[in-house]
Amino acid sequence: MQNAKDSFYMALRERLVALNPERMILLRGAVRPGILVEEAEAPFSQLPSDVFVLRWLGLGVDVNLDSTMVATECEIVYQTCGTQSFGGLDRGRALCAMDVELVAMLQPFSTPKLCYTATPPAAMMTQVFWDEASFGPVAVQRDRMSRSVKLMVYSYQEQGE
Amino acid sequence: MLADALLRSLAGTTALLRVTGTNTDTNMSELGLVSTTFAEVVLSPAAMRKLRPTWKDDGVARWELLVSATSVELQVSTLELTSAQSLFAMTLAVTVAGQDYLIELIASNEAFGKVYLYRMMLREAAQQAV
Repeated sequence: MQNAKDSFYMALRERLVALNPERMILLRGAVRPGILVEEAEAPFSQLPSDVFVLRWLGLGVDVNLDSTMVATECEIVYQTCGTQSFGGLDRGRALCAMDVELVAMLQPFSTPKLCYTATPPAAMMTQVFWDEASFGPVAVQRDRMSRSVKLMVYSYQEQGE
Repeated sequence: MLADALLRSLAGTTALLRVTGTNTDTNMSELGLVSTTFAEVVLSPAAMRKLRPTWKDDGVARWELLVSATSVELQVSTLELTSAQSLFAMTLAVTVAGQDYLIELIASNEAFGKVYLYRMMLREAAQQAV
């Protein structure tokens, strides 16, 4: 299931670069696309703004199939305070722009499964696919607006996984 | 300089900032597959004090680390960084007397427009697998 999680993140990362190459983050001394996996980074005391943070939550396994299917719940959290040039008054628009970006990033609803432990990544036999995202309400904390989006990511376990 | 003397008089200790290497922009690094290169930045003099626990603390001990601004400035110029904030942004953990801490909050004290002390609120890090 780790390969499915890795493939899902990398697919979203590539799609974000194509959609909005200006959404970047300086993290661990490197400038990179504005999306990250929370469990693969140092613990945050405060989540970074204007980037998509992937968080892996629930897990379900269906073994009553020809191939075992794994469903993993993914939460994508993002927040913004708006831009400095607008004094933060555009934070609603900034959050809306991130909503639109995420909707576009999640389409199409599948990506090939790759094994990223190999260099270059090795293509596997099946696909990773997911259902439509469930957008939570906007949470307002003073000047910060955030949203949590949840979706299920499905994959088949292959031999050797 | 006065802050340095005061910190030394308070049994001034040494704090190590564990900072990440700069060349981490790889797929494997972003997926947690390869360990990033780390470096330790020495800050001294520094003083630790335990903060009074509150009902919100979840039983995790919190500490305040007082660090001399002169040692921070020295490391900022050694590492050719633009500011102290850049140094703290690269920091994954702080080690004092062998114990790792995570940074919760950073504040600074100024006099005559110049920072003389950095105050870091720290939380004890959980034990990690070897």
